[in-house]
Parts: sequence; structure tokens; C-alpha cells
Amino acid sequence: PMSSPQAFPLPSLPRKQPTVLVVCGPAQNGAIGLVCARHLRIFDYEPTIFYPKRSPDPLYRDFTTQCEKMDIPFLSYLPTEVQLINDAYNAVVDAVLGAEAEAGEGREPCAAILATLKHIRIPIVSLDVPSGWDVEAGSSSGISPDVLVSLSAPKQCARRFLGRQHFVAGRFLPYDVQKKFELNPPEYPGTECVVAL
Amino acid sequence: QEEAQAIDQELFTEYKFSVDQLMELAGLSCATAITKAYPPSSFTTSQPAVLVVCGPGNNGGDGLVCARHLKMFGYQPTVYYPKRPNKPLFEGLTTQCQKMDIPFLPEFPAEASLIDELYGLVVDAIFGFSFKGAVREPFGSILGTLQRVTVPIASIDIPSGWDVEKGKADGLQPDMLISLTAPKKAALHFTGRYHFLGGRFVPAALEKKYALNLPPYPETDCVLQL
Repeated sequence: PMSSPQAFPLPSLPRKQPTVLVVCGPAQNGAIGLVCARHLRIFDYEPTIFYPKRSPDPLYRDFTTQCEKMDIPFLSYLPTEVQLINDAYNAVVDAVLGAEAEAGEGREPCAAILATLKHIRIPIVSLDVPSGWDVEAGSSSGISPDVLVSLSAPKQCARRFLGRQHFVAGRFLPYDVQKKFELNPPEYPGTECVVAL
Repeated sequence: QEEAQAIDQELFTEYKFSVDQLMELAGLSCATAITKAYPPSSFTTSQPAVLVVCGPGNNGGDGLVCARHLKMFGYQPTVYYPKRPNKPLFEGLTTQCQKMDIPFLPEFPAEASLIDELYGLVVDAIFGFSFKGAVREPFGSILGTLQRVTVPIASIDIPSGWDVEKGKADGLQPDMLISLTAPKKAALHFTGRYHFLGGRFVPAALEKKYALNLPPYPETDCVLQL
């Protein structure tokens, strides 16, 4: 969650206001999106969240409260008119579905969200797995993110990622876990929590 | 001191932050600041060995998180944690350190000279901003030994044993202070080389409400050198 802002340093954003739309799904990937939105706010971006199906998990509910109390607006609906999104935001953070999703693409409201995201022209930053992609095989007709932030370690479908930047955020994995799953992570520079692959 | 406690209270009750969340961010800030001030390559000991002394409360918890991140950043931390609260948070943090092969000393080094020989840095995570009153053992003797140590000491939030507002002229004089959230009044009495601000989680509204007037953090850094 702390790694997403590094892909788009503030001065480089095309719109006058550093607006970012964070689209959060109903499960863990969405919760990570909430945490990301909060940190984006601290980093002086102007995030807006779309979180149509809220998890009942108390931890995730608290993440929502934290965002609300930090004056991060929550959209009540996602415009289907793609140009509205293109005009209002510099980038979209895709925190809809993660590696645990099973045919989540087919279920509402994710299906409608993904249909819209496929047509936007502003960059998409996907958290862990581009939403809607099969976690191993990828997707030929799914969304095409500009930036992928793999959490812990890249998933198999990351091989099909064709965007501009691929980051790994997995510095906090204990060594025995890394070894057990033969993760062979890259060296993280200095005290950075992400590394570009 | 009351203001610091009020801010904390609001973060927990109004903003619904969990202690875990803030402690993790605080501990990470400490490790990051330490890495900036005392990079592993700067140590004269053969390994970048660090002794992290953890107290009985949240400051100790910050120390445990800090130790874990120091290990990630290439240091060889060792923890001394004599009084452990019976709470899942602290038990979890201890387990995380142990599973990362961070040793826990069974007793505190008897002599300051021994600490100087074995470690290049000591992290003081004994008492924080809630500290009031007399220092209970074993921390009295520990602080006594630390005052005779010549390697640098980095204190988390408040130099342990200091009055949170007035400081302590004859107390610990750390080389580094990492103020969490905002500097406390005692920081005015800090005379060491490095003062960092950490704990980059204060919402703008709270900052304004308590007129913290914090300088801006650089980019996405979680620490700021003051």
C-alpha cells in the first residue's frame, strides 16, 4: 500500500490537482486499497474512493473510518461515462480483486466496474493482480494496467504484464518464509519497501 | 504530555486506528531514521550489531517493531526485554522477532564496557511519553549502565527516565532522538546530534486541531530530520 505513490511522483501528474481514484473490491485487495488511499492522502494526493461492497470485517471497517475521518470522499456510484473518469483523475488504483478471487470477475459489482475500467485512458495501478485476470494464466481481454504492484511476490500472471512499471512490495517477508517458498526476492535499496523489477 | 495522550486517544477512538497499525508505522520510522543516521557501513564493530532495550509498555513495543525492521535493513539486532506484557500484541511482536532469528538476551550486560565492545548502537525503547513517577527495577540499573555506555544511544520518542516535559539534566543523554507523531516538550532539552520526526500518520485535521505545526516530510519518506 505504501508503494503505489512511487509510481507517480507528484510533480509529474498532468492534472492540476493530484487526484487519484481508488476502486476497492469487497475483500482483502479492497482493504489494501483503503490503506493505500490513506497513505496517498498523507503524501498530499487527493484520493477519492469507490467502495461499493463493504466488508463486514471489523478491521476493514476501521480502515474505512480512518479514510472517512481523513476527509477522503467516497463515491456513491462509479460513472459509466468513461470520459468523466478520464477528466477528473490522474490515475486509477485498481484494488478490486486480488489473488484470492475466484471468478470474481463475473460477479457484480465487480463485473460492471471492470467493464468500465477496460475503457479508461488514464493509467491504472493494479494491486497484486490486475483485477479480473486469472492469477496464473492472466487475461487476454481484461484490464491493462500501466503499473503493477506485486504484493509479497509476483504472481504467475505477472509474466503477462505489459505495462510500464512492475514493483514488488515484499520486503517484510521473514527469511524462512522466503526460503520455504523459494521466492528469491530482489535486493531492496536502502530502506525502501518497494523495488522496481 | 496530556496533549500527546489526547492525540493518541483521538487516533484510537475517533479515527479507529488500531495500536498495531500505529506501532508498526512508528517502529518502521525508528528503524528508517536509525538507518539514515547510522548506516550499517558506518559501524566499527565487525557486524552492524545493535542492542535494543525494550521497556514494559508501548515504547517497548515500538522497539520490537524497530528491531525487526533493523534486521530487514541489514543490521544484527539483539533485544533485551525483561518485562513482557501478557497481551497478544506484544506476544506477537516477540514471536515475529524470534522467528527472524533476533536473539533475546537472558540478562542485561553487567558492564557498560561490555555493551561498548559488542554493539555499535543502543536503541532505548524503555519508556515513552506516558512515563510518570519513579523508575522501577530492573530499569533503574539498566539506565544507570546505559549512562556509562560510550556507543551512541538512539531514544524512541523520549529519552527514558526523562520527565516528558522538563527533561532530566542528570539523566540519559542520547545521541539520537526519534520523536513520534510530534516532538514532545522534553525534546527542547535534547542535545544529541540527530533529531528525527517519525510516525507519519497524523491526519491533517488533527495536526491543525492541536496546532502541531509539523514541517513537511520529504516525498514519501516516513521520517524527517529536524
